[in-house]
Amino acid sequence: MTRLLQLFRLGVVRQFLSWSGAWWFVVALAAGQILPPLIGLAVWRTVFPGSAQVSTYYLALLFTVATTASYENHTFSQGIYKGTLADELVKPQPVIMLPLSENVAVRAWIGLVAVPVIVLVGAMLTVPFEPGALLVALPFWLGAGLLRFLFTWCLAMTAFWSERVHAITAFGTTTLYLLGGNAVPINLLPSFWGDLARLLPFYSMLGLPADAAAGQAVQAGTAAIVQIGWLVLLGLAARTLWLRGLRRFTAVGG
Amino acid sequence: MTEPLGIRAESLSMTYRVPVRESGLGAAFRSLWRRQIRTVTALDAVDLQVRPGESVGLIGPNGAGKTTLMKILAGILKPTGGTARVLDQDPFQRRPEQLRRIALVRGSQPLGGAPELTVMDSLRYQGLVFDVPPARFTQNLDELVELLGIGRLLDRQVRALSLGERMRAGLAMALVYRPQVLFLDEPTIGLDVSAAVRTREFLRKYVVHTGATMILTSHYMTDVAELCPRVVLINHGTKLYDGDLTGLTDRVRHDKLVEVRLADGAALPDGLEGVEKNGRYELSVARDQVAPTIGRLLAGATVLDLSVREAPLDVLMDEIYRREPR
Repeated sequence: MTRLLQLFRLGVVRQFLSWSGAWWFVVALAAGQILPPLIGLAVWRTVFPGSAQVSTYYLALLFTVATTASYENHTFSQGIYKGTLADELVKPQPVIMLPLSENVAVRAWIGLVAVPVIVLVGAMLTVPFEPGALLVALPFWLGAGLLRFLFTWCLAMTAFWSERVHAITAFGTTTLYLLGGNAVPINLLPSFWGDLARLLPFYSMLGLPADAAAGQAVQAGTAAIVQIGWLVLLGLAARTLWLRGLRRFTAVGG
Repeated sequence: MTEPLGIRAESLSMTYRVPVRESGLGAAFRSLWRRQIRTVTALDAVDLQVRPGESVGLIGPNGAGKTTLMKILAGILKPTGGTARVLDQDPFQRRPEQLRRIALVRGSQPLGGAPELTVMDSLRYQGLVFDVPPARFTQNLDELVELLGIGRLLDRQVRALSLGERMRAGLAMALVYRPQVLFLDEPTIGLDVSAAVRTREFLRKYVVHTGATMILTSHYMTDVAELCPRVVLINHGTKLYDGDLTGLTDRVRHDKLVEVRLADGAALPDGLEGVEKNGRYELSVARDQVAPTIGRLLAGATVLDLSVREAPLDVLMDEIYRREPR
């Protein structure tokens, strides 16, 4: 376990260093992440002028979106297409170290770019946050980060079968934007649609930690069960896709 | 007591199922609901035994099955038939203790991983992934730096290296944990003459120095001739020959080339035929007729220069490959 943690830490440092040479790309990725919630913030503040809840929610959402960003469709899928995944197969470490450490490293870079912007926006809008609400949001934020990684990794692993993985992940990203609480805060949806959206994995990936951080009424127990349930489901899906995909990769070559 | 084997493959087979369809729009639509699949055989019941410390060259034309065989032995591909053992382990299990004892170097991509890192960063990471104790890492690295001449590359980013430098750094990455079995896939592809010579020199020294087992594929026959006392010829997934290179070339060519430069305007003595190239004649002579032919040349003409050699290896291999239709 200690060795795995050491390898993970090393992998993150290595990927962090590696991405330092692509800072302009990181800026573009960060902008792509934070622009939609910024637009949402502007639109919904116009609809509900003076609502502190909308501002707090969108600021928390901005942070969640930026720090849980996942790009396995750019990173892991390319390894499958180029055959460089074969290089990882002959290393004495679990292959998941590669996407996981790169994911954390990319998030760290996007966070570095995005957090100053978020702080600036927060200062301009004088958005209030309750420390207690932030504590409640913390486990949901961690779960959201893992869930978003698993979701994107699952989509990225379709590269074992298709060369059109970007079309698949684009569909996933759009669905996440529409149903995750980015386009519309889930609390503003009609109750039936809101209840339905809360049961889907997308809310657990974005809206849930933002709602919790904004101090909005969140049924923490139910929300935790839903989030953990999706974590288990997507974890099993990722495992199945990995084993089947690897079988295919090792059957046709890299 | 049987001799221990570095590598043993028995009846190793690999088949792929590939979709096929006729050309045209109609066939494209029909293939949406009636997919046709063809089975392609990449390896067909190949046997191979390699002793520890032996260097073997896998040769054959493109698509012969060389790289497939190498990938199976490295544990990247799972064979559809037969068994493989590398250092007494099933390579496809990819056990960590097994992976620490083998290395795969691909000439087309000698340095995987992050191009933004320096060579030293990549080497350190490799040392940790392969669990090399710090003292041994330093010792191995010092040796590799000297043998490969990569001292000036250590602080450079991987992406800024030339192809030759990448290959040297890639070899250092692959060898810094002292693998016992080396799989080299086209190690000199794309390298200039000097870089290729240096790479071959290094590999020869490394194998002698460490006693490592080496399996090499290359289309450059010089690589094979200089590094591998034993060659295995594969074509259409089948092993056609297993032995030394001379034995293989003797099967194809029963002649030697006699090259001679005569005094200005002189012609070849009667009864001798050759092709004139740049003022020199090249004669294809049966091996048992080389000495008598030279005698006739010296007696019948003013010879300024004369040499006897084998046909170029590339020409010989071309003849071997052409014997079987692709």
